[in-house]
Amino acid sequence: MGRVERTYAEGDPVGPLVKEITQEAINLFEGSAGHSEASQFTDEEAARETLGTSGTVASGRMSISFALELMRRHFGADVFNKTGMVDLRFIRPVRPGDTITFTGEVTDTSREANGLKVNVKIEAQNQKGDMTGVGSGSAIVPNAFLPPDE
Amino acid sequence: MVEADNRIPLDWDALEVGETFEKFEYVLTQEMIDEYRRGVMDTEAAFPTISHKVDVRQFNARYSDNGSVNARCAFHCYNSPVPGKTLTVTAWVADKYLRRGKNYIVTEAISVDEDGRLIDRVITHELKQPWEVGKKWDG
Repeated sequence: MGRVERTYAEGDPVGPLVKEITQEAINLFEGSAGHSEASQFTDEEAARETLGTSGTVASGRMSISFALELMRRHFGADVFNKTGMVDLRFIRPVRPGDTITFTGEVTDTSREANGLKVNVKIEAQNQKGDMTGVGSGSAIVPNAFLPPDE
Repeated sequence: MVEADNRIPLDWDALEVGETFEKFEYVLTQEMIDEYRRGVMDTEAAFPTISHKVDVRQFNARYSDNGSVNARCAFHCYNSPVPGKTLTVTAWVADKYLRRGKNYIVTEAISVDEDGRLIDRVITHELKQPWEVGKKWDG
């Protein structure tokens, strides 16, 4: 997805984005950076030793990746990949077998020197309805990407 | 043959905010990008750099500790990295704090490609008592 031209207002929903977490996906994520050693993400024994958990967990950075996707789909790649950011606190572990739903809501907008800054509240919940992550994100939308009357 | 571990045992009290690590470089390959995209189930994911954990890489190369768990992470996008380009990463200790008796270290890093394009900035808060995860959620 590239250029998106739209208006932005407080209360606008962002998403949702649903992700099913598998050990295979976690292994690909870790392996993509060459992390081949056993870790709390890829090896149950390492997870027990380091975290004291019964199994592996997904890196918080996977949740960051999903939040980036949530925001990019809303703002378009042309805007978000140049001006976007996300900031998440990780509340609960995300584990293989979990289904995580990311949602957002526009909280406010403000005029900046280089466009309209749109702030978004972001939440992530697992299939039980438990919060796994919470935080915020933003993008600065250039005037060229806004309707003329914005 | 096992390599000697020359890392310094982490002394949280002595760790200095502002400590900047030696720059490091890596080439982001198309294969890395493809594998990352399969992992996050997003064919258009533009910042595979997040999986490289570049903000803690040099920290972990310098200090040994009992591991850590990611408590908070912020990621700023500036330009999508281009496959085949060399990325140079500068990372530093941005902050440290004690909360509810637990130690946190905040690392920050920026990545720039070989053409001078700013790629991204990542800030991570790591809890240095990772076993707290199991105590709280699996206890």
